[in-house]
Amino acid sequence: MPEPRMTADRDPGDLLRELAPQVLGALLRRFGHFDLCEDATQEALLAAALQWPRDGTPDNPRGWLITVAARRLMDAARSEQSRRRREDQVAVATPQSELLSPAADADPGQDQDDSLTLLFGCCHPALSASSQIALTLRAVGGLTTAQIAAAFLVPEATMAQRISRAKQAIKASDVPLSVPASEAERGDRLRAVLHVLYLIFNEGYAATHGDQLTRPDLSGEAIRLARWLRQLLPDDPEVAALLALMLLTEARRPARTSPGGELVPLAEQDRGRWDQALITEGVALVTGALAAGGKAAGGKAAGENAVGPYQLQAAIAAVHDEAKDVDTTDWPQILALYDLLDRVAPNPVSSLSRVVAVARVHGPAAGLDALAELESDRRVAGYHRLLATRAHLLGLAGQHGPAASAYREAARRATSVPERRYLSRMAAQQAAEAAG
Amino acid sequence: MKYLMLIYGNQEKWDSLLGEEWPQEIAKQDAFNRKYAGTGELIGAYGLADAVNARLVRRQDGAPAVTDGPYLETKEYIASFYLVDCENAERAEQIAADMPWADQEPVEVWPIMHESPTNP
Repeated sequence: MPEPRMTADRDPGDLLRELAPQVLGALLRRFGHFDLCEDATQEALLAAALQWPRDGTPDNPRGWLITVAARRLMDAARSEQSRRRREDQVAVATPQSELLSPAADADPGQDQDDSLTLLFGCCHPALSASSQIALTLRAVGGLTTAQIAAAFLVPEATMAQRISRAKQAIKASDVPLSVPASEAERGDRLRAVLHVLYLIFNEGYAATHGDQLTRPDLSGEAIRLARWLRQLLPDDPEVAALLALMLLTEARRPARTSPGGELVPLAEQDRGRWDQALITEGVALVTGALAAGGKAAGGKAAGENAVGPYQLQAAIAAVHDEAKDVDTTDWPQILALYDLLDRVAPNPVSSLSRVVAVARVHGPAAGLDALAELESDRRVAGYHRLLATRAHLLGLAGQHGPAASAYREAARRATSVPERRYLSRMAAQQAAEAAG
Repeated sequence: MKYLMLIYGNQEKWDSLLGEEWPQEIAKQDAFNRKYAGTGELIGAYGLADAVNARLVRRQDGAPAVTDGPYLETKEYIASFYLVDCENAERAEQIAADMPWADQEPVEVWPIMHESPTNP
């Protein structure tokens, strides 16, 4: 872990969010009982948010939080003492001094294990994706229930209930809250963690960034958590690749919406507005990850894939981000990467992106042929993005009338406001081309 | 994803429910509401007042211009609506099918448009 900055010049909100998983991890290690520890940690964080601006940040903020949280935990335990098992009574008797932050020469590795355990626990397979997201944002991200609720546009009480249910589900399941022992299970759980972080990233609202405290920027939060995960697992190429993918995507954000708030597709974006620092960092990360993946492949049996899906998606993003414009982009390279991705981790969105790459390399007619194969799959046939891709290819092929109809149909099926507006606009453009 | 669920009613239907059955029916609805508020999926459940209380509002010279109405062509009108936030369409359909009167009257389920363009 890097040297913490002097507490005096840290923004209290940032500091609290950084300490949240450490505090919860420390409590969990000694008490177990995820739901009670999480409640106690949350209460300590809220107390700090109220008191520290008023009384000043304590010299040992972590110790302060652990002390307050442990006190809350003991109070909660004592009030339920009649229902508790013998082991819990032993835990309650643990002296408070054992809970204060470790000596300066204490093993930081233990903290990292705690944090990883916590993160793996939040992405427990018993939970739905939205529960995993909410729990991760609270227990690991240190966001308050109100902030998470605001981010997802639901009332605070609704989100509180969802989080409470998630914790009950973990408690009720027999799977212990620990990093899985077998490598295969560890791999599965890590994949779930990466997926949750990626979902959080995608939830980030593109247009408005309100006051951070009331409506957090989830994309920024996902990047922060991915950086933190990379510190915990610096040798894992998929972790590095996920961070790279986020940075390379985030780099394009300034160009992704017009001043009027309209969605701007990749082909039309003003690349001068892309964040070059993020691109540089992202490219370096994915290059390193691919090299590490290649090394790992050396020891594996023939036919085993060492390259993971995030490495491939990040590589694709890197090719786009390093190109001057859509026409000079290395489309054959992108197509090759999508072909590989289709074998490693097929999914509808990347299959459609592959079709666009086919059209760029082999022409729109070839793209339409590739699309026809996807259209025969019932699961994706009515998918608005498939219809939009068809419309796009018809437009490229000069069939403006059919393109307009396809865009209109796609617009009807879109479930996001920005996409629907964009598709309607494209329909109007194609209709104008057909008439003109 | 968020969904709006609509239940329609008409005066005949309400009148046909016997007086003694009414508390039971309310209890069933309350149980439904509690169950899904408990899972964190029901954002709100709202029963609308009778159509005779509804109004039509326009703006005229910067102020509200109010008339009685809406005068419905049909006898069916929205009786109550539910705001749900759940994992996907299949889950929304499960929840709708669980409504107390879904075995007798269909429930309308409308997806609500969201603001994030990157969601599927």
